[in-house]
Amino acid sequence: MRQAINKNEEILAATVLNIQRMSTEDGPGIRTTVFFKGCPLNCTWCHNPESISIKPQVQWVETKCIGCKTCVDVCPDNALTSSQEGIKINRDLCNGCGTCSEECPSTAMEMLGKKWNLDDLLDEAEKDRAYFKNSGGGITVSGGEPTMQASFVAAFLEGCNKRGLHTTLDTCGMCTTKVLDMLLPYTDMVLYDLKEIDSGRHKKFTRYSNEKILENVIYIREYIKTHKRPYTLWIRTPIIPDATATLKNIRGIGGFIAKNLNHTVSRWELCSFNNLCRDKYLRLGIDWSFKDYELLIKEFMEHLTEVAKDSGVDPKIVHWTGATRVEEEDSTTPDDGGHKLHLVKGCNIA
Amino acid sequence: MSIETAITPKYKIKEPKGLSTRIRWLRDYYFKGVERKWNNEFSPWTTGTPWDVQFDEIAFHIVPETYAFLQTFRSSMHQAAHLVKLHEDFWKWNLPERRAWFVKEVMVNYLPQEIFPGDLIAGARFNIQASKCWTKEEAKARDGLIYGKNGARTKVKWFHDHGYGNAGPTSGHVIPGYERALKIGFKGIYADLEARYNALPKGEKEGPKGAQLRAMMIAAAIPRDLAKKYADLCRDLSKKEEDQQRKKELIQMAKNLDRVPWEPPQTFWEAVQALWLDHMLIMSDEGYPGPGVSFGRVDQYLFPYWEYSIAQGMDREFGKEILKCFWVHANTAYDAMIKVGGNQGITAGYGQLLNISGMGKDGKDMTNDLTYAILEVIDEMTPILEPKPNVRLHRNTPDELLDKIIDMISSSQGAPFLLNFDERSMAGMMREAKRAHCEHLINEENVYDYAAVGCLENTMVGNDRSGTVDNNLNLLKAVELAITGGKDLIEFVDPITGKKEKIGQDGPSTGDATKFRSWDEFWRAYEEQTRYIVRKCVEVFDTSEAIRAKFCPTPYLSCLVKGCAEKGLDITKGGPELFFTTVEGVTFATTVDSLLAIKYLVYDKKECTMEELIQALKDNWTGHDVLKAKAKNRAPKYGRDDSKADEMAGKVMDLWADQTWEYKAESTNRQFRPGMLSWNYWVSDGYIMAASADGRPKGQFLSNAICPSNGADTGGPTANANSVGKVMGGKAQDGRGDWGEYLSNLPNGASHTITFNPSLLRDPEHKEKFKAFLRGYDENGGSSIQINMLDADMLRDAQEHPQNYRNLLVRVTGYNAYFASIGRELQDEIIARESHNRY
Repeated sequence: MRQAINKNEEILAATVLNIQRMSTEDGPGIRTTVFFKGCPLNCTWCHNPESISIKPQVQWVETKCIGCKTCVDVCPDNALTSSQEGIKINRDLCNGCGTCSEECPSTAMEMLGKKWNLDDLLDEAEKDRAYFKNSGGGITVSGGEPTMQASFVAAFLEGCNKRGLHTTLDTCGMCTTKVLDMLLPYTDMVLYDLKEIDSGRHKKFTRYSNEKILENVIYIREYIKTHKRPYTLWIRTPIIPDATATLKNIRGIGGFIAKNLNHTVSRWELCSFNNLCRDKYLRLGIDWSFKDYELLIKEFMEHLTEVAKDSGVDPKIVHWTGATRVEEEDSTTPDDGGHKLHLVKGCNIA
Repeated sequence: MSIETAITPKYKIKEPKGLSTRIRWLRDYYFKGVERKWNNEFSPWTTGTPWDVQFDEIAFHIVPETYAFLQTFRSSMHQAAHLVKLHEDFWKWNLPERRAWFVKEVMVNYLPQEIFPGDLIAGARFNIQASKCWTKEEAKARDGLIYGKNGARTKVKWFHDHGYGNAGPTSGHVIPGYERALKIGFKGIYADLEARYNALPKGEKEGPKGAQLRAMMIAAAIPRDLAKKYADLCRDLSKKEEDQQRKKELIQMAKNLDRVPWEPPQTFWEAVQALWLDHMLIMSDEGYPGPGVSFGRVDQYLFPYWEYSIAQGMDREFGKEILKCFWVHANTAYDAMIKVGGNQGITAGYGQLLNISGMGKDGKDMTNDLTYAILEVIDEMTPILEPKPNVRLHRNTPDELLDKIIDMISSSQGAPFLLNFDERSMAGMMREAKRAHCEHLINEENVYDYAAVGCLENTMVGNDRSGTVDNNLNLLKAVELAITGGKDLIEFVDPITGKKEKIGQDGPSTGDATKFRSWDEFWRAYEEQTRYIVRKCVEVFDTSEAIRAKFCPTPYLSCLVKGCAEKGLDITKGGPELFFTTVEGVTFATTVDSLLAIKYLVYDKKECTMEELIQALKDNWTGHDVLKAKAKNRAPKYGRDDSKADEMAGKVMDLWADQTWEYKAESTNRQFRPGMLSWNYWVSDGYIMAASADGRPKGQFLSNAICPSNGADTGGPTANANSVGKVMGGKAQDGRGDWGEYLSNLPNGASHTITFNPSLLRDPEHKEKFKAFLRGYDENGGSSIQINMLDADMLRDAQEHPQNYRNLLVRVTGYNAYFASIGRELQDEIIARESHNRY
């Protein structure tokens, strides 16, 4: 596991992948979500593969490219070539200097990961205050994994606190308790991922077993008891076909919550698989094992939700979110049935 | 609406619901269009003179699509006109009296009266093209001012052809004093006119003031005489009616019409009946259906009647039934050119706007049961075009109202109404009071009673004509002229004759831009050219304003606008207490983005020289792909909540808005004021204006109203809204704004459309979030938004299979149109927007 390095420069600047304003999916109300780059886990289904590496990375966006080859000419490391299929990035040669993205006239060469300094990021966070106010919204730090840049994130959350902005930490829980101690004093709410209850499977899917993660969530429970803060803890479970989307897993996580986190967790969200990241993988030149999977069907998510409600937790805390397949009224596409069958199979509903 | 097609649309579109057999029949019948036995198509009427004119082209000078047909309209109306037998003294009267008498004669004694089966409201045909009642001399004098080298038509055509925009005083766009007309009846209006007339000294009686008041008295009797005709018709029908229920209704309608609009109404039914006749006669008087003749705060001034009737035992649903009949009537305005067919604007959205809810005294919310009843009517009738609703929101808007409107948004293809935001709107009105020195007419004590005209154009009510679509100025032209030193960048080629026009020194010589050494020099040239285009616009407007004031009185409308009787002056001559004409700044974001691109490319980053940029623009960006890409993608843009870019936008706003306050029309002393509405010009003028420095080639759309350029708002809806609020003026740091802490450069307000993905409203939790967005918009955003909830795939399907989507309504800039009926380019534009917003 990578450790956050407590250096001054890291407090002053962080590598941020993206800032999404008017986010309605990262906690209560309307939120501004800051996605920090870098994640210790490596989930096979990851929806944001560009967020895994903490290093800035460059990607080529075909739809924006005008074919001028400026990038090829300016690359100091000769890492770019132009071919029939477009610009090819030799990732062994590319050192992420960003020259191509600075020179690209159409912004087709895109730098993933931008340095933000603390004051600028705080100013950005404040811009939507008027929308947060009436919705119980605020700032969410997410990723990647925000705990990987803990010193900066702690300073950022503290700054948000001072400005009266509600703060949410969205974490996979793979960090040291020392890092949690740095962040929790400034955190109003924690969104915590429990992806897979079986440690072996967890390791298979994410590279690490889940002991530390389960330990940390109990640490947070205790922290809440003694500090009266964070005020809220939500658990989130990604529902991934042929991985976490098993009844056994849902029952297992439910059992864990019921046993250890009753009265502490106010919401358990089942987040349905999202395939819109397919072209992200293409652009990064990574073969994604989920590339052929369709969105889940609504009935399946509803069924899992019922199972979750039955798992021993307070049924009121269970919700499901995310996009499911649009069911057309007159299903005329011939492969429709096939997809449905596949989904049902992939989701191990039977 | 019945869709007579074998194929089911792929996507579900909003259908009317909960309609009674009566209303469903009326609604379906209305949508049968030309197949109806009855319609409200224009009928022309003549005095019988060879020089007679019915069609007033000045009202259409702001509709460039009609320029080529103006002469045809004029002659065909004249040819088809029915003869009216004139009063023996007709030609002895003054023009306003002639005109008032003529309109009255047509409406009462010539035009047939009809009652639709089951209808509860009388007042069917009203679209007339009445003779302008000119003497030979008047006709000749007027034509001389329209045609010829310095004529109004030549001027406006030049203005349009060269990409400046268009200008001219058009009809409608006013909120008449309906509340007063209901309170005192037309009898009261007549009595007031008579008293004023009798009080005139003899000399003035014989002068223009006397003539005007006599004309207004004639006009004030139209509602009385027409109501009598309709009352008789209802009685006749009731005698033949076998259905006892219907018989009773017809007898009650006759009784209503015996009283109103002459006497003040007592019941809700009478009030709505009176309101409809009062209203439709304006469209007859002006000979122009619908546009912007708006109702103001109906849920406020109709509420006492509603309360009275409910207390008297009126079934709430029956009250709504009355309103629904009123809704159907409002839509018959569209029959005016029913055989011409609708395309891009001409018949898309007439804008008989009504306001509901909103703030009252001391910030109090004014929502009442009628507000909700009207929302239910809208919900049950939608999709339908008229009347257009505008819901006023403010800090104290109750959650219950927001819940209702969000439910309605989620079940329609976007909001079936515009949303106005009171604080920013009132700040604009208060700014107007200061700038135009009319604090005695607009102040803290009454500003909350403002209302919107047409779509979202804010004015005061019953005493205010602010010509809200009279001047449509392409702000971008000043950037072009700053680049060229006052000349067109490309020569104008007449699309019909193919004739090329030599480029001339039209604007001030602001110097050779290629020699400018700094951005500041360029900015100064731009300032100078902005002053020029505003001045030019004022000049074009004034030419036709003078003609209308002299030759086109509207005495009936004048009865309903405070100031006209008091001054004895027609509304067209400056009767209203508040008399403004609005310059609507078009192409705002394209202008700002072009300036940002010039600063970025030429001065800050030195990506190219001014010569190179000018060459690229002359070449319409062809062969300059890299520079074009930089202009489009690397240069900063307005609409992202980027403080530097928005600062430029603020400077552009301050500059042009300030300029408009500098002018009054010489002919009528009418004060110019700024606003931002683009109607559909941003589409059509994109084909006229040269390529712009933001990377837009000629032929591509310009930006719409105050919205960021298409696709530029990469920061999402909150960033977009923040940018808009900032450029309108933002909030005063010390809390002392124009109204509260709010500042506004635009008294008229600004049109802002944001498209959301329907998934945002998918469940109660997300609806709550959307509610918070609206409350946040009230704090940070502009004066008004139109919310669209559309999906690009659905639109593409609709484009390919229009027959399946005939009743799919889309809303752009607050003008509503059936998607299938608008032009391909605009369809593509809407789809492009949608695709951009896909999640």
